[in-house]
Amino acid sequence: MSLKQNEAELRSPVRSALRKKFAGAFSERPIEPIEVEPSILRRWTRRDLLLFGAGALATFAVGGSQLPREVWQRLGLAQSGATGPENKWLLNKALRLDDDVSAALYSKHHLVPTYSKSQITPLKNNYNGATPDPAYIPAWRLTLEGLSSGLAVSLDIRALLAHQIRDQITRLVCVEGWSAIAWWSGLRFADLLHAYPPVSHAKWALIESSVNLDANGNPDPYFVSIDLLTAQHPQTLLATHLNGKPLTVEHGAPARLLVPMKLGLKNIKAITRITYTKDEPPDYWAKRGYSHYDGI
Amino acid sequence: MIGGCVVSSGRSNSDETMTTGAQAPKPRALVIRRHHPLVRISHWLTIPLLLGLILSGISIYWASPIYQHDPNPTTGSFDYFADAGIWICAHIPWLHQYADPANWVYNHASLGSYMLAFALRFHWFCAYLFMLNGLVYLAGLGIGGGWRSLLPRLSDARGVLQVARYYLTVPHATLARRQQIHPSFRTKYNPLQRLAYFAVAVAGFLTVATGWAIHKPAQLSWLTAIFGGFDQARLWHFWLMVFFMVFVIPHVALVVADGWDTLQSMITGWSTKFKRSDVSDHEP
Repeated sequence: MSLKQNEAELRSPVRSALRKKFAGAFSERPIEPIEVEPSILRRWTRRDLLLFGAGALATFAVGGSQLPREVWQRLGLAQSGATGPENKWLLNKALRLDDDVSAALYSKHHLVPTYSKSQITPLKNNYNGATPDPAYIPAWRLTLEGLSSGLAVSLDIRALLAHQIRDQITRLVCVEGWSAIAWWSGLRFADLLHAYPPVSHAKWALIESSVNLDANGNPDPYFVSIDLLTAQHPQTLLATHLNGKPLTVEHGAPARLLVPMKLGLKNIKAITRITYTKDEPPDYWAKRGYSHYDGI
Repeated sequence: MIGGCVVSSGRSNSDETMTTGAQAPKPRALVIRRHHPLVRISHWLTIPLLLGLILSGISIYWASPIYQHDPNPTTGSFDYFADAGIWICAHIPWLHQYADPANWVYNHASLGSYMLAFALRFHWFCAYLFMLNGLVYLAGLGIGGGWRSLLPRLSDARGVLQVARYYLTVPHATLARRQQIHPSFRTKYNPLQRLAYFAVAVAGFLTVATGWAIHKPAQLSWLTAIFGGFDQARLWHFWLMVFFMVFVIPHVALVVADGWDTLQSMITGWSTKFKRSDVSDHEP
């Protein structure tokens, strides 16, 4: 017998055994009944049913404690008319955790998807309150504070347009769930940071608009916090143009923030002041129960 | 309750009687371990978590419905759920005075309208726990070996149809007082169960994946692209919710029909329901 034949004979049973073993790994194991004294089985059952009941009660207690008063009122289980701030500790923790996850996911090398002009969708005026009177536009200035020079800088629109203007067609995603693809142009926030460097320990930018109004037309200044890492993202713009034309008052003339790495509510319109800070500044919607970071 | 399979230990009773006198053999219950503790814990936690996710999810849906039509000239509504609420309040006599008909559905099938910030926080809270719970479930399946009973096989196809046909025809057969015999299988779950439970696990995974695709369409743009973009991922997420809602109906109905042993086996882990023939076949 040649060596080759010998090997073939040896191999095939090994292979079929392997195959059987492999198939066996996925097949169900035979059931193995165990013998238990009925008294022990009763004890097990009682213990597990009690644990189940206790777990169910605890779950509903914890879950229920995190529901807002309004839900209990609608169910008729709480007095209506009671108001006041509600502190939902677990929910706040979850929101903070989610913001931390979001910040950990951030990379300035990861670009958001860009689209072609044929994919552009209508963009509604989503001013939270009333649209401001365009009378503010001619006298508009952008004030920068918290600079390394220690001075405040006041810029007009020509000073902004003197930088390189970039085009980008990106998606604006609203916290409500709708989104719109639009063609924006403007200077990179990173270029502004380069031209007017913030103080060395600054980690945040507080971006404000003094022209915002509430639904009744009364002044309601809008402000967002932006971490400087996101501000330096190459797709974070101070947008001056929409669809190739200067911004209209509905979309935040003459300059707004375009930060496609964040939810739409951070894309503040008609910016009037940027302040660089060491500590996290306040944020309009975070004060109203939304996330601080709003990364998407 | 536990008497289903009480048998004597059956081993050389006569010898014992000879030596120990008239002592009767102790009765023993013969049970099988059906579900690993981690599987049981995660199974029950799924209920409050899914409930929280669905209720807060519909509150989030309210802020920007994915199914919209041109505004109705009289009501101004562009949302089918708002239409349903308006219709319900117009046709049910004691709801004629309901203050906010357009939000009737949301106020009764979600945490409520006008609470997006809260609903989002509640959704993230439940979603992180839901993911954690999914890992606990997978760990339980792995440690207990239960995953082998859940994997559908190609050879299940015939059995799936057999069981499906049984359930589709059994109501009529019962009314006609004709006895219908449930197809029997020697596996832990029948092929239709296997397909259903496996599909629920896959749906859980897809719900998490589509959730992240909607939550982080910029950072996880590759994931959003897998589901066909941001708007498509929202559709997936919505219909996966509907899948869970639809699954629950036969799931609960059949557990109730199957009886206490099946229900309690998910709480205590053991069951007396098994065929003796399955046992003896495997004895050496």
